[in-house]
Formats: sequence, C-alpha cells, structure tokens
Amino acid sequence: MPLNAFKTSQSLSLGVELELQLVSPSDFDLTTASSDLLELLRRKPFPGTVTPEMTESMIEIATDVQTSYEPLLQQLLDIRDVLISAGDRLNVGICGGGTHPFQLWSERRIVSKPRFKGLSALYGYLAKQFTIFGQHVHVGCTSGDEALFLLHALNRYVPHFIALSASSPFVQGNDTLFNSARLNSVFAFPLSGRAPFLLRWEDFEQQYFTKMEHTGVVSSMKDFYWDIRPKPEYGTIELRVCDTPLTVERAAALACYLQALCRYLLERNEPAPIEDDYLVYNYNRFQACRFGLDGSIVHPKSYEQIPLREDILTTVRHLQPYADALGSASALEHIYQLAHEGSDASYLRQEFAERGSTEGMVDAALQRFRYGESMQRSG
Amino acid sequence: MANDLAWPIAILIAWLAGEYGFRWLRLPRISAYAIVGFILASTQLGVLPETQSSPMLLLANLAFGLILFEAGYRINLRWLRINPWIGVTSLAEATLTFVAVYATATAFGLASSTSLLLAALSMASSPAAIVRVINEQRSTGQVTERLLHLSAMNCVLAVFAFKVIVGLIVFKTSGNIWQAVYSSLVVLSVSIILGALLGVVMPALLRAIGRTSHDSTLAFAISVVFLVVLTHHLKLSPVLATLTFGLVARHRRIVLNASQRGFGALGDLLSVVLFVFIAATLSWQQVVAGLGIGCAILAARQITKIAGLGFFAHISGIAWHKGLLIGIALAPISAFVILMLEQTRYLGVDLVDQLAPLAAAALILEIIGPILTQRALIWSREGPESGEG
Repeated sequence: MPLNAFKTSQSLSLGVELELQLVSPSDFDLTTASSDLLELLRRKPFPGTVTPEMTESMIEIATDVQTSYEPLLQQLLDIRDVLISAGDRLNVGICGGGTHPFQLWSERRIVSKPRFKGLSALYGYLAKQFTIFGQHVHVGCTSGDEALFLLHALNRYVPHFIALSASSPFVQGNDTLFNSARLNSVFAFPLSGRAPFLLRWEDFEQQYFTKMEHTGVVSSMKDFYWDIRPKPEYGTIELRVCDTPLTVERAAALACYLQALCRYLLERNEPAPIEDDYLVYNYNRFQACRFGLDGSIVHPKSYEQIPLREDILTTVRHLQPYADALGSASALEHIYQLAHEGSDASYLRQEFAERGSTEGMVDAALQRFRYGESMQRSG
Repeated sequence: MANDLAWPIAILIAWLAGEYGFRWLRLPRISAYAIVGFILASTQLGVLPETQSSPMLLLANLAFGLILFEAGYRINLRWLRINPWIGVTSLAEATLTFVAVYATATAFGLASSTSLLLAALSMASSPAAIVRVINEQRSTGQVTERLLHLSAMNCVLAVFAFKVIVGLIVFKTSGNIWQAVYSSLVVLSVSIILGALLGVVMPALLRAIGRTSHDSTLAFAISVVFLVVLTHHLKLSPVLATLTFGLVARHRRIVLNASQRGFGALGDLLSVVLFVFIAATLSWQQVVAGLGIGCAILAARQITKIAGLGFFAHISGIAWHKGLLIGIALAPISAFVILMLEQTRYLGVDLVDQLAPLAAAALILEIIGPILTQRALIWSREGPESGEG
C-alpha cells in the first residue's frame, strides 16, 4: 500500500494522545479493565476520543485538534474528569507514568484485535513488555517538506522532552536508575530510533518508504517506532518520546512547549539540520533517559557539553516571545518550574522513599492524576 | 496409629488429585479436593476418622479465616459508596434468593423453620471457593471485583439472617423477634468490633517497628489465627471478625505483597485441609435422601442470583452478559454453609440432620460451584491469557 499523500494541516495545530494505566485500587497492580471502561464510556458523549490499546490494562485518549494552550488544557481536564468518574463506578484507578513500577509482563493479556494479536505473535515478550505508557504530540504541518524539516530540526531537542516528561523510574519492582526506563523498551524494537535523514517528502516517499515496503519489512508508517514520525494522513509530525506525565496539566504544558519550539524553528533561527547532527543523537538520548534533567548533552554543532537543565532553561528564555504570541506563557512557566523542581520521575522516587513500597508509589500517582498539580501532599 | 495417618494421607491424595485434575481436565483444584474428601470420608470409604475432631474444625476455620481476611482486604468501601448500585444489587439478589429458596423448600413440604434456615444460608456465596478460584485463574476485572464484593456482602447478610432465625425459631427463647434480632446483633457487632480493633492495632504495631514497607503477610497470618481461635471460643462469628479485620487493615493502608496473595504455601496447604474437611462432613445417605429437594433449591438459588445480577448489570455500569456471568460465578456455597452448621453444632444445636437437603446441595456445589466460577471468569476473559486460548 503506497504512502498517503501528505495532508495539509494548519501550521502549529496540536493534538495530544495519552496512554494511561488502569490500576486496581486494592493491590495497585494493573487490572483488566479497558473493555469494561470503554463499554461504560460509550454510554455518554466523550470530550475527545478514547480507544483500547495493546493490553487490557491500558487505554489511550486523544484530544481534538487544538491551536492554543487554554482550550487544550481544558479539554484534557474534561477528559480526565470523565475518565475518573467512570473509573470510580468500576473500582478502577487511572493514572499516568511511563511504566507501572511492579507489574509483571507475563501477567498481561493482549487485547483480542487481529493487529495486536499479530504484533504479539511477532514480537513475543517484547509485545507484553510493551505495556508502557507514552504521550504522543502531533504538530500540524502545511506540507510534507515542512514536516521533514521540523522532524530533523527537532533532533537536538528530543532529550528535552525525554527529561521533562520522564516518569518511569521503576520496572518490574526495581529502581532502574533511569528516569525514563520506558524508552529502553521502545529501543528493543527493530524499527525504532530516528527517521532517515531526508528533507523532501518526495524523496522520503519514493527513495525510502517505497523501498522499505518493497523489502516486505513494513507495510505502513505504523510499523516504524521512531522517536518522531511523520503522519501523512493527519498532516502532522508526531513526537513519541514522552512518558505519559502524572498529570494532564503537565501533558498540556509539554505539548505547548513543543508548539512554541516548532514556531521558533520554522522561522529558521538556527542553522539547518544536517545528517551529522545525528552523530551525538543516541548519546544525548541516553543521557536524558538515564539522568533526566541532571544529564548532560553534547551540542550537535559545537560538540560542547551542556547540562541538560541549563539547555532547557536557555531554550525557555528564547521561546518566551513565541509562547506569548501563541498564548501559552503559562505552559512555558510550567516547564520553567518543572526544570527547577524536578521531573515526575524524581517525584515518584521521593514517594517511594516516603511510603516505602512500589504500591505506595502507584497510590501517589493515582492521587496526582486525580487532583492535579495543585494537590497538597498529605502527611 | 492408623488414625494419625488418615489426615496426612488424605491431604496428599487430595493434593495430587488437585494437581492432575488441574493439568489434565482444567478442573479447579478445590473441586478435586472435595471429591477426594467425600470419597475418603468415614461414611464412604472410611479412611478418615468418624467423628469430626475439634482440632480439624478449628483448622478448617483457620483456613476459612485466612481466605476471608484476604476477601475483606480486597473490599473497597469507597467504591460501594460511589456506586450504590453494587449494594442495591447485593440486597436484591440476596433477598430474591431468600424468598425463592423459602418458597421452594415449603413447596417440598419442609417445615417453615427449616425452610427459613435453608433460605438464610442459601443467600451466601462462599468467599472461600471464590477467592481460591480467582487466585488460581489470576483474573482481574469487573466480574472478578464484583464477585468478591458481592460474595462478601451476601455472606454478611446470610450470617445476620441465619443468627436471627436460629435465635428466633430454634431456641424459641421467646416469640419476640426484636429480642432475637437484638441478641444476634450483639454477637455480630462484638465480632465486627474485635475484627476492626485488630485491624487498627496490628497496622499501628507494624508502623511502630517500621515494618509497613516490608511484607506483612506473616504478621497478618498470625493475627488471623489469633482472631479465629478467640471468636471460636467466645462463640462469636469468625466469618465476620476476619472479614472485618481484612477490610479495616486495607483501609489503614497496609500493603500486602502481591506475591504472598492467598498467604502463599500456608494458604495453599490450609485450603486443601479446608475443602477435604468440608466434603468429608457429608455422608452418602444424606446426599441421596436430599437429592431431589437439594437440586430444586440449587436451581432456585442459581436462577435468582443470575436474574438479580443480570437485572442490575446495566445500571451498575457493566454489560448485561457480565452481570449474568457474575450471577453464575456466585454459585459456591459449601465451605460457608458447612462451617456455619458445624459451628452451630459446637454451640449445642444440631441442625445438620434437620437440614439434610443441604447436604446434597453442599456436595454438588462443592464440586460444581468452583467449576462454574472458573468458567464464568474464563468466559469473561479476565485471566492473563484468556484461560484456555
């Protein structure tokens, strides 16, 4: 099947998808709930879309196409409230976080859809280990060429999003010492990583995709697990490196940070991306996954070592006028605070230390998703 | 000497039968234990000693207590408050069952006191079989959750109704229903208070020595043993006490390690004892004598449970077919009923002979009940790999 033509979208329009965890309030383990939850949600109009995911312990929600911060945040809050109240009726807890800290992958059940069953047969334990939860942000592009430019211009900023969203410090009951251990599960897939360095849509379509399709390895864009991937049928690029944050407020802020960054990059304020930028890409990505905001990255042009936190704070300053123009100054303020106070991964580690168990950590994540950032921690 | 060996041999045979039955026939292990227990009983092959010794009864009660603690631990009161239809469903299905079983029993010409007792006991679904099957299937989801909550609730209702009726009719202390209600209420509330007290004190003790973060399974196993023996001696209700204990401990935010679910090997061993013991109390003659009426009661009970659950499924937030599956899964009754009756015998009233039709029902359900629960969980696709693929 040939690639769809790249649909033109409104430049810098946004769409947010969140994969969320379905947890039992009794033992805080993942629970089989997506079909029951969807059955209940179907009875009333939903403020967005909600779909099943790979395993029965996960659902995915998506916003409509949004153009600015306030309506995006409002829709995410509405979605959250509807989900929480449906979950309450079914005794199902819903929370963010890139991984569930102690679930055992062997306990998960793959949703009975042909596509998921097929993936499970192909990837074996990788498919079940893929019980991980990410935030995907779509940014609208006016053309395929613009999409590929943005995709590659963003390469140096990918670690920002990994570190800012990191919320998966624990896997299978143990501290991984990573801030985003979730991405390690993504890297295990053969078609993960970055998109090939092509800047014209025509080249991408003919030189790359058609050839890959001919090899029989892929049949659609869905088979690529790239960090950023173009989505021609929506007319967007999709940033896929973020862990699902613990709150929808943070999800909205991250999306608008990306939006402001794209606006800045589209003004061609920086030297154009080149293939060699990717020499440091994997190293920088590792630093962000492992050390989060405390990591240090190598600048792809100057090869200078920069603390990641400092790089984010500098970028926030550069983006201020762009965010103001887009009406997302509060989103940028959120990112600024986040860079200072630490990510969700640090929050979860701190809760683990205080409550003494991974179950307590999930409990904290449930509370945080329900009550949001303003929540006062109870003693 | 032969007597000393009887129980260990019975347990060994039951365990083997459980494992092979599970591997080859996908039979719930506890169904196999029941079959073995019934066959080896004194009235059948006569391997097990004739009189049910008091230590064995206590051991069975301990096993039941551990399971009830776990059931209580998994009850979420907040859910019952937010979704009141769960409570309504429970009241409705229990009441319906009571009425239907009473009508069936009187239609078969049983005395009204006997019919009332049968009706009260039939309301319950035994959490023992349900929890064991859920753990065996490793199921999670709406059918599983609701099954746990409903069986805990209808047990409480059944204990209450049973105590009231025993007080009122069997003891015939006075014709005064209020006095009967009052005296049962005292027994029930003291049992609940004891359970709640332990549920508060134990977590506090654990916090004081800073062990909340670690696995507290051992501490709770010991507490359950203590609570069961205490309530047994004070002639209170171990069912309510251990259920309350689990419930309160959960709401005191004590974490039980999931790997120790069901109290690990200790729980497994005691459940073999429990289900062999239960079936061994039944005799062939009783079963045959009460077969017709027993089956009629079972049918009435099962139909009302399925109808009640099905009727309230949609409004309580799940699909119709899931409601019907929960109704099917609520089948088990035996451990609860037999232990209630044995305890009553211990209190000095022998209801076992009066309630002969129950023997047939108990035996059938001790074998079939877990199978129905298991099938319902598989059909609802709540196991890790959809059970049989």
